[in-house]
Amino acid sequence: MTTSNKPIDRLVYELQERTKELNCLYRIEERLNNDAVSFEQKLTDVVNAIPPGWQYPSVCAASLTYLDQNYQTPNYADVDWRLVEPIVVQEKRVGEIVVVYLEEMPQADVGPFLEEEVKLLRTVVDRLAHYILYQNLKTVFHDLQRVRDRITRNSIAEWRIAADMLRKTDPSLFMRILRKLLHELCWKGVEDAELLLRQSSIELKDAEGVAADENRPLKKKLINNYDEYIDTILSLANEYLNDDEILAKMQMWIKQDKSGSLIRSLESASTSLSDISEAIRKFYHMAPEKVELSPSTIKNMRVSLLRRFFTEDLNYISIAKDYVKLTDFYNLIDKMIFLPASHGKLGGKSSGVFLARHILDKSASLLDAEFPIKVPRTWHLTSDCILEFIQYNNLEEILEMKYKDVDEVRLTYPHTVQVFKNSEFPPDIVKGLSVMLDDFGHTPIVVRSSSLLEDQVGAAFSGKYKSLFLANQGTKRERLAELTDAIAEVYASTFCPDAIEYRAERGLLDFHEEMGIMVMEVVGNRIGKYFMPSFAGVAFSNNEFRWSPRIKREDGLVRLVPGLGTRAVDRLGDDYPTLIAPGRPNLRVNVAAEEQARYSPKKADVINLETNRFETVDVRDIIRDYGERYPAIENVVSNYRNGMLRRPSLFDVDFEHDDLFVTFEGLRNETSFVKQIHEILRALQEKFNTPVDIEFASDGKQFYLLQCRPQSFTTRDVGDEIPADTPKERTLFTADRFVSNGRMPEISHIVYVDPDEYGKIEDLKTLDMVGEAVGRLNNMLPRRRFILMGPGRWGSRGDVKLGVNVKYSDINNTAMLVEIARKKGGYVPDLSFGTHFFQDLVEASIRYLPLYPDDEGTFFNDDFFTRTRDAFARLLPEYEEAGVGKAVKVIDVQEETDGMILRVLLNADEDKAIALLAPPDAASDDADLPDAVRHAPVAGANRDREEEWKWRYRMAARLAARVDADKFGIKGMYIFGSSKNAIARNDSDIDLIIHVDGDAEKRRQAELWFDGWSKCLAEINFLRNGAFFEEGILDCYFVTDEDVANRNSYAMKIGAPTNPAKPLQLKRKKSNSDKDATA
Amino acid sequence: MATSGFNAFEMAQAQFDKVADILQLEESVRDILRQPMREYHFNIPVHMDDGKVKVFRGFRVQHNDARGPGKGGIRFHPQETVDTVRALAMWMTWKCSVVNIPLGGSKGGVICDPHNLSMREQELLCRGWVRQLAKDVGPLNDVPAPDVMTSPQHMLWMLDEFEAISGAKYPGFITGKPVGMGGSLGRTEATGYGVVYTIREALKLMNVKPEETFASVQGFGNVSQYAIQLYQRLGGKVVCVSSWDQQDQKSYAFRRDVGVDLEELQRITDRFGGVDKEKAQSLGYEVLDGDAWIEQDVDILIPAALENQINKTTVEKVSDRVKIVAEGANGPTTPEADAILEERGVYVIPDFLANAGGVTCSYFEQVQCNMNYFWEKEETLTRLDTKMTSAFHEVHELAKKRDLFMRDAAYVIAVKRVAQACKDRAWA
Repeated sequence: MTTSNKPIDRLVYELQERTKELNCLYRIEERLNNDAVSFEQKLTDVVNAIPPGWQYPSVCAASLTYLDQNYQTPNYADVDWRLVEPIVVQEKRVGEIVVVYLEEMPQADVGPFLEEEVKLLRTVVDRLAHYILYQNLKTVFHDLQRVRDRITRNSIAEWRIAADMLRKTDPSLFMRILRKLLHELCWKGVEDAELLLRQSSIELKDAEGVAADENRPLKKKLINNYDEYIDTILSLANEYLNDDEILAKMQMWIKQDKSGSLIRSLESASTSLSDISEAIRKFYHMAPEKVELSPSTIKNMRVSLLRRFFTEDLNYISIAKDYVKLTDFYNLIDKMIFLPASHGKLGGKSSGVFLARHILDKSASLLDAEFPIKVPRTWHLTSDCILEFIQYNNLEEILEMKYKDVDEVRLTYPHTVQVFKNSEFPPDIVKGLSVMLDDFGHTPIVVRSSSLLEDQVGAAFSGKYKSLFLANQGTKRERLAELTDAIAEVYASTFCPDAIEYRAERGLLDFHEEMGIMVMEVVGNRIGKYFMPSFAGVAFSNNEFRWSPRIKREDGLVRLVPGLGTRAVDRLGDDYPTLIAPGRPNLRVNVAAEEQARYSPKKADVINLETNRFETVDVRDIIRDYGERYPAIENVVSNYRNGMLRRPSLFDVDFEHDDLFVTFEGLRNETSFVKQIHEILRALQEKFNTPVDIEFASDGKQFYLLQCRPQSFTTRDVGDEIPADTPKERTLFTADRFVSNGRMPEISHIVYVDPDEYGKIEDLKTLDMVGEAVGRLNNMLPRRRFILMGPGRWGSRGDVKLGVNVKYSDINNTAMLVEIARKKGGYVPDLSFGTHFFQDLVEASIRYLPLYPDDEGTFFNDDFFTRTRDAFARLLPEYEEAGVGKAVKVIDVQEETDGMILRVLLNADEDKAIALLAPPDAASDDADLPDAVRHAPVAGANRDREEEWKWRYRMAARLAARVDADKFGIKGMYIFGSSKNAIARNDSDIDLIIHVDGDAEKRRQAELWFDGWSKCLAEINFLRNGAFFEEGILDCYFVTDEDVANRNSYAMKIGAPTNPAKPLQLKRKKSNSDKDATA
Repeated sequence: MATSGFNAFEMAQAQFDKVADILQLEESVRDILRQPMREYHFNIPVHMDDGKVKVFRGFRVQHNDARGPGKGGIRFHPQETVDTVRALAMWMTWKCSVVNIPLGGSKGGVICDPHNLSMREQELLCRGWVRQLAKDVGPLNDVPAPDVMTSPQHMLWMLDEFEAISGAKYPGFITGKPVGMGGSLGRTEATGYGVVYTIREALKLMNVKPEETFASVQGFGNVSQYAIQLYQRLGGKVVCVSSWDQQDQKSYAFRRDVGVDLEELQRITDRFGGVDKEKAQSLGYEVLDGDAWIEQDVDILIPAALENQINKTTVEKVSDRVKIVAEGANGPTTPEADAILEERGVYVIPDFLANAGGVTCSYFEQVQCNMNYFWEKEETLTRLDTKMTSAFHEVHELAKKRDLFMRDAAYVIAVKRVAQACKDRAWA
């Protein structure tokens, strides 16, 4: 059992051994519980039960010594091939068991004995020791009873007799009880007891003196001997405490004392996990939940266990200690894989789910939930397994990786992954994994990281480390190989460059990162060749994307998808999860059937059991092929018929031909799912004392909780701090209604549609042109660095007068959409909340903010919007001519404010937002480079931002300096876009305009030359930051004289009034080159 | 209501005044047609989900019912204004008149944002609307229909309330109902087919055989798909179709010189008219920029997607070969482009007429409901053909006789009929 890859007959043999050992234990248990025989007989029976459990029973003999008695198997003889295990009762050696082989047997783990046999003997002895302890105590109480019977009505209290008995039979227990008694006295306010406790010797008032005179000082008496000390306590007890009370307390203390070994092992930092788990088992076995421990003892044990298994985080412990029971840990250790000497923990993800589950179990409102709440069967690998794995394979040098240059990390990472994948797991872990696989059977599983760093509040590591889905099909050997492969890959992700960079940024590099692993059963059903949940998703107790003013933040948000929840977790570019606000389930994002269908999930993530792969498939295909077999399909899809979306009737739905869309209408209307998830979020938020987000999945019947963590861990939705006093001249506007959290980048341009001027436009055509102009600006201004502000409802489809008529494609590059509601004749118009393209906004992280400038307490800087210069005419002269310019203003913030940028701070907790002019994050130190426009601190990216655009700019400049302009007929080179505007990210390309003379052959050669460089720079970029460009990193636009003259396409950028392409210095032509060109 | 700025009703009145001048209408006729005959403004209290009562403002404007019961949609819009509703009601009068169906023009609305209302609240709103108006609407005096943000579901709620109040079944009270609940077959095809009926007639007049023509279509939604279907049945060949790509947020044109295969293309199209680029390419379609549909060397252009598509700039790209522009969409041609097309002798079938198949079919729905006998799809479509064809010829005749551009002729004929009805009734 300690080595893998054994021939089958060997395995069978070993299994037989284990059976024998188990039988041995059962027999002993049976004998000890047989009350028909005497104590002595029982011991004899135990001895006789031992040899059959050993590998060679015929030559095996045993002997048991207890106190002075000896019990032996008939064939026992003193020989050298022996195992000895002492019997310890209450820390006192009271005897021993010896097992011998009468003949010399082949060498095994310990002499001729197997390791398992050593353990077996230990277990037998432990069990026996418990039994003896129990018998002793029973004797004590038995005696007590006898004495009591004899001396009823005697002046000596019963408890005194019991105490005396105890003193004789078990002095150390007696002393512990005595101490408790002393504490009890102190607690009752007995002064002398307090003194005794503090000094261990006191002056005691004379018992006889009490009756004399209350005002006279008491006679003092000095205690200095041990017996006297005991007697003093006993007499104090006699004096101040009620007899029955003491007796009851004593009984409880004696029972409590049994839990002592567990407590002691928990208190000591040096105890390993296996010792603890052994102690839990023992404790549980001895008295499962029957022991009446005091609340404080229980709490203490829970806290110790939480600390050892999960985290030192005080917040967590203080909440969890009220919700977890010792039984929970007992159940947990059965599904834990750890090394014998482990001190590891289970990690962040595990602790979140563990606590959440127990909170929900105790939540009264969820007791009869329509979808019973469960956690999928989960196994845990403790966090230090990864270290053992590394040591076992001599991979220690990888631990230093995190201190290396990120380039180097990136370069070696693919190699690291392969090394990890090709490494062996230590046999103990393999053994555990094998048991685990048997437990799971052939159901698909997911291997998830559960990192200790996830405990660090604020560090959202979720996306950095991997989660891998396994189909878990095939032979055991194949499954095990896939599993270890997956675990190795997740382990390797600890050393992935992104994670290391992220940690470096947060100063977490020195944190000793151990990674726990959670292996979870995938929730779902087999549907045809696929395995998937009926539905899954994520839910937030705070809603940061509200589509109606009637939805409050605490109404929460659910993102629901068919299939695996992976598609709900990430914002999708090309698909839409169903959004529900559980507090307001009836307010839908999309009202018209057409909209509902358009914004419905079209794809699903599934596990393909035939290819053993995780796949993304079309929902329509699944419904068409397997609709009949999809559990609870009637709650998932709706039938689009006659302009209405209806829950399908299973009686007449035609999965092949009907127009079916995933809407979850049935789930909303016909089940209590939404109400239930609202309860869940409420309960968790209340107990965690912070907004939470959860991941969940359902097989159609049950609700499985997959993850739970504070919502603040998702950094992108944390509120900004709103400064208290800001100078008016630097404030553009404030808002105090319907504010959602969300990080905004630094804003360089504002597109402002003046509500008054817009209202004055008299003809429809001009109104439509305003929308067109906005669309044009959307493609000209730097992406996500401008905001759109305008009256009423953006994208209004009814009356263009009420809001600028735009489609999503006209606004998709903005960072924020602001709707201004100005009072009109005493009433404030309703705003759209972006409903016309709400889901597009959500998936693109475009923020929405309504402004009510006429509200009291809000501020709107009319002066700024009128005073500043307008860049509109320069940008769109043709629209200026048409009279659109009056209504639309483009403000170049930097130009108007001496280099400041606009910062929009949002805080949903305070329901406040403010737009402030502020200096950019950092000033450029490189005078050679264009005016730097800094980017906002978007998690994990700002550190490099500087680097990224500088490198790109520099490379472009080098190319210009090196290219043979004559040979390729190049007249000029220009850089534009993100690299020029200093906003390039690791995945930004380099946009170049190359002005050529029109010779086709030269141009062809130039294209080749640039293409080569493009691929080469892409490779270098990959090594720098991990972003890969398959087609190369350069985006070259070739323009001719004609294009430049006509300002065609990209040639327009050359010398453009705003954001023009910047010329790059070409290599000087040979004819006039006295000195080298400088880049 | 704002006093300055764009006013839809004033615009509609100005347009009417122009036609009235052409027709040299008497003052009294102008007076009765410049203003709606009746308007209802009323409150609708609704018990909201949270137990509170919220009062909504509802309207119904009956512009003219000289030719028959009023017909027009009900809009749910948060910033509805009565002027918008008035303009649209007037528009409905002309629309019914141009295809010569015996209905007048109405429009209604409620100031509300359905995005802020639960389905239950919307139902109460619909029923409340009907309760306020039950005695002033009905199959014999004013027939509502779905419009902005109202759906067949809303129509059914309203119908149910109306029937509960009336104590009898009146399926003809409202149109836009689902098939089986009083809806008419052929409604999905109606608009697209209607466009092609008018194209067919125009080609006849030009003595051109449909099977010798080529067409290019903008948009691949419901209207386009059925227009292409019928046009291909007539033997014509569509060489280019454009469609909106939701993911790329731009449109693409799909061209194949041997002609597009409608069914093949439908198979790779989502139900919103988005064609899968890659699959189209593999089927031999050229994927071009969305604007490419307009520059194709074809005989017929069918803009069936958005407004203002043929404008000052794009009109230059229209091939000399183009003989007919059939406006499947509303307002696809700007006035400047209109003038240029006129100059070049292109035959424009105005939206007003070309896409009247929809309203005609609504009329059929009402007719069938009133007699409680429902036609087969073929019968509906045959009757549609008859209506559209005769409407087309009447407009064409007038245009020829008075030397008007088709667009103006359609307007003139519509107003003329209503004016005549008013005079006949001695209203003016």
